[in-house]
Amino acid sequence: MPAGSSTQPPVKLSLPLQFQQDLYNLLRAEDLLVILARGLGLLRIVSNLLHSYDATGNSLVIVVGAEDRENDWIGEALAEHYAISRSLQARGLRVINTEKASVPMREKIYAEGGIVSVTSRILVVDLLSKLLDPETVTGLVILHAEKIIATSVEAFIVRIYRQFNKIGFLKAFSDSPEPFISGFAPLANMMRNLFLRKPSLWPRFHVTVAQSLEGKKKAEVIELEVPMTESMRAIQNAILECVEVSIGELKKANSGLEMEEWTLDSALHKNFDVIIRRQLDPVWHRVSWRTKQIAGDLTVLRSILHSLLSYDCVSFVKYLDTVLAAHSPPPGSTRQNQSPWLFLDAANTIFQSARSRVYSGKVDDGSVLPTSNLPDTLRPVLEEQPKWELLSDILDEIERENYFNPVIRDDSNGTILIMCNDQPTCRQVREYLQTMRLKATKPEENGTGQAPHEVEEEAEKPSAEFMLRRKLREYLVWKRTFAQVSASLFEENQKSLNGIKEASISNNFRGRAPPNKRRRIRGGGAAGTNPRTANGAVSAADEKAAQVANLLAEIQPAGDETLVKEDVVIDDLTEAGDDFFELYDPDDSLVIHPYDADMDDNLLEELRPRYIIMYSPSSDFIRRVEVYRSSHTDRNVRVYFTYYGGSVEEQRYLSSVRREKDAFTKLIRERGSMAITLTDTGAVDPQEAFLRTVNTRIAGGGRLAATAAPPTVVVDVREFRSALPSLLHGRSMVVVPCQLTVGDYVLSPSICIERKSVRDLISSFKNGRLFNQAETMLQHYKNPFLLIEFEHNKSFTLDPFADLSSISTLKLPENDNKDLQSKLVLLTLAFPHLKIIWSSSPYQTAEIFEELKKNQEEPDPIRAVQIGLSPEEEAGGSLVGGEQAGAARTFNPIPQDLLRCVPGVDNKKLQRLVLEVRNVQELANMSVRELDPLVGVESGRRIWKFFNRSVFEGEGEGEA
Amino acid sequence: QALASRQGPSAVLVSTRQKGNPILNYIRSLPWEYSDTPADYILGATTCALFLSLKYHRLHPEYIYSRIRALGKMYNLRILLIMVDITNHEEALRELSKTSMINNLTLILCWSAQEAGRYLELFKSYEHASPASIRAHQAESYRESLTEFVTTPRSINKTDAASLISNYGTLRAAINAPPEELALIPGWGEKKVKDWCSAVRENFRVRN
Repeated sequence: MPAGSSTQPPVKLSLPLQFQQDLYNLLRAEDLLVILARGLGLLRIVSNLLHSYDATGNSLVIVVGAEDRENDWIGEALAEHYAISRSLQARGLRVINTEKASVPMREKIYAEGGIVSVTSRILVVDLLSKLLDPETVTGLVILHAEKIIATSVEAFIVRIYRQFNKIGFLKAFSDSPEPFISGFAPLANMMRNLFLRKPSLWPRFHVTVAQSLEGKKKAEVIELEVPMTESMRAIQNAILECVEVSIGELKKANSGLEMEEWTLDSALHKNFDVIIRRQLDPVWHRVSWRTKQIAGDLTVLRSILHSLLSYDCVSFVKYLDTVLAAHSPPPGSTRQNQSPWLFLDAANTIFQSARSRVYSGKVDDGSVLPTSNLPDTLRPVLEEQPKWELLSDILDEIERENYFNPVIRDDSNGTILIMCNDQPTCRQVREYLQTMRLKATKPEENGTGQAPHEVEEEAEKPSAEFMLRRKLREYLVWKRTFAQVSASLFEENQKSLNGIKEASISNNFRGRAPPNKRRRIRGGGAAGTNPRTANGAVSAADEKAAQVANLLAEIQPAGDETLVKEDVVIDDLTEAGDDFFELYDPDDSLVIHPYDADMDDNLLEELRPRYIIMYSPSSDFIRRVEVYRSSHTDRNVRVYFTYYGGSVEEQRYLSSVRREKDAFTKLIRERGSMAITLTDTGAVDPQEAFLRTVNTRIAGGGRLAATAAPPTVVVDVREFRSALPSLLHGRSMVVVPCQLTVGDYVLSPSICIERKSVRDLISSFKNGRLFNQAETMLQHYKNPFLLIEFEHNKSFTLDPFADLSSISTLKLPENDNKDLQSKLVLLTLAFPHLKIIWSSSPYQTAEIFEELKKNQEEPDPIRAVQIGLSPEEEAGGSLVGGEQAGAARTFNPIPQDLLRCVPGVDNKKLQRLVLEVRNVQELANMSVRELDPLVGVESGRRIWKFFNRSVFEGEGEGEA
Repeated sequence: QALASRQGPSAVLVSTRQKGNPILNYIRSLPWEYSDTPADYILGATTCALFLSLKYHRLHPEYIYSRIRALGKMYNLRILLIMVDITNHEEALRELSKTSMINNLTLILCWSAQEAGRYLELFKSYEHASPASIRAHQAESYRESLTEFVTTPRSINKTDAASLISNYGTLRAAINAPPEELALIPGWGEKKVKDWCSAVRENFRVRN
């Protein structure tokens, strides 16, 4: 094993494979950007590296960009290393990830040194305020390097670090190559952001990696393709058709955007809807409500696609029911604002086939419709997921094998590990395995799908009938109440789509041929025979009460079912999280676990399974097994890899493998051609740059006093999420992080700026926050500004894509559906002295700030912090570390946003509640009497009603 | 003094300098008339607007300053309505932002004559409007606020709101539900469950 190159007693490492050792040695030797293929154990290398620094002592290594789970992983790994190597210096990982770590505490941790993982936002503040002196840092380890773009906080951190510390090391890691290949010379840019010179690429096809993993200790993998059932295939095709149509609509509506990638093919990709959202985001304020709606539809469709393969048929129908309820307009509505995919025949297919998988009429011609007067009886079909049977077959096989060839003694346990996509699937599989041997029906009644002659045999075919019948019972009960719920809840849900919809809808439909007319014609022919509403969209087929009752009677508990408690699953839930805390003999235990990225490595190490069944495909898990297998000579493992043939699942798996490979190929090519450009990225000495700006300033003559001090901007700590502070720093201004009560940026004693991205602007108009912010800024500053910041390189305009003509039918101010322009007008009318800065990008904002600051005095951070605080707080407000005053009033934004949605809560009451009540849960459980002293009886009653009103009771006492 | 008598209750007064400006074609829902004023548009007793096209500004950078000088310190709300009709607008806007601070102007940007006309109409017609609609959160119906409440965390959508409420009946029950139970609802993945639970359980204040 390679030891650390230090003179200390050798550091013990746990890197059994050749490529891991190579990589480690490289990393010890120089600063690198490491891009490793997913699943090859990036964290293991990182933690070994960290341990080598930890063990030598006297170091302060900062880990940047680690997520919580990664912190856990690294922490555990370091502790393990420590236990093995017993080096006296090692201190393990310490984590600073919330504001809970107070300033003195943080200071102490930094002073003690060791390995510290810090949230970027806190780290940047600490570096700027010199709470953590960059010069004392031994080195920086950056995880998720793929996220570091020029304007990100991490890039800012690296810049500050390198500005003051030229000798410390800097190593960046990423295990996702895909983001590195978009844009122009992306790798080179990324390297520049990281101040690194050398990338090191480790794809799966790297020679050393391949040799390490494909030696004689290869894992045994058995691929099993399961065909989907007929109806599943039909549903999948229908969903894809809906996706395609939705994409078509999007393209039509947004001709101005780049859309080459909006294809059905990319729709299979995992985060397709996210990609579209990201593309639309910068212009979100301009797209029509219809585009927004379709973008939302795509998310829904994707999740339907996902649940088709992972849910059982009953849950799937239940999910579809909710989707439908949430998307259908009130009966008799004339507004044509339904999602376009609901109008397709394909949508009809989805709902019909899904239902027919659960139950059908006795005379089977799709007669479950309320309109038909065919027989009143429904009969459960309860189609099983094909994988279930396969799973039980595999388990049988394993059992048989264990019986006939007992125990090749090796180091692995006899454990069987089943890996699924997510918790719900795990739960489903678990329940299936528990109940598959239970008989559901009395033998004579058996006509429900399973071959009858097999039922009475001892070696009965496993069946999910028991489970599905239980689910169906639950479903029918739920369904009965649901109709009412959806009536009382979603009649007008379309209203909430968004703020400006109202304005543009009238606009959209006035000029052109009324679309509803067209639709009616198209859907009209089918109206009689299909379960559709008059306008052609799919509607929920409500079975007659008698039919449902019949169905319910048919599936009443029978046979074994009566013996087993109804709530099997609920009992299970309590132990759901503690899969491994079992005292059973590990040799015959069966563990079902969801994929959990790097955590899976530990899972494998701990369980040492003999058999692994991959219930759903995952490319990185396969690699983990390879690494695991290759690392242990004496452990045999057999993997069963199951997937639905011809399904989205399969394609997604294949395309993820292909995309990763392509990405690496591209990166390797770019690395080949960029070597030279990187040698001179040493950048201009920031101090020089700084001196230059000061000089030009003095050349202007005038007020030397102002120029003597470096230009300073006081920035609210919450603003470090945005790119602006980083850019201000880049323009050699001194950024002082403070906890500001009023404004986001303070440029001079008289200039205060509230920054709003367009999205923020819309939401803060909506909830009234901007009004209050403007009010307080005006109270305390002579020149308050509202900065409206657009995104870089994205459309710099408020114009919606649709034209404005028909909005010009002016609405009264009372009407709450108004567009952004009119709200802006109201704001300026209310505050004539509030100035507005329009900036097309954060880069321009930085320039504007510089311009505004000219010939102005520098701001006083202490004063800026105290402004807006109430007197007693002001007394306590100090400026330790530059951000202390009023730290006790740091609020969490999301719970507050929730609170704002509660009727009866205005701004004043909000403040009160936030101070007096702990969280939303506590508020929801308060009685009117408890609320009274806080907000008064009237509001208290409204709040109480909001939380306690039951949707089952339908419309009633509610306020408008 | 002549102004007062001529000023109709709802007319926008337009300076004769603006004759031929295409934005006049888009002041449609309100009457407007020419008048002799130092500003370009008079939009109310205390509100006036200057109009500037960036294309023109690039050719005659001094023009707007002479106009601002002529305006003196008149009017309370002084709009500088800027038509962004060039692509490299950065420098001009930076300079005008600075000017707006010195001369107490409020910048309003528009990108088309139509939008400009609409702004003028809005300023005039909202002259006496109360800012109530931007002041506080809008009162809404129960279901709307319910949906809005549940969908506040970004990962949760309307469908999820429906399934949540239909499973629990009341919001309170949904808020008190344990995460394991929420995960059973179709459509509720781990992320949603986590987001929802942390949103309702997370303290308002970071520190106590």
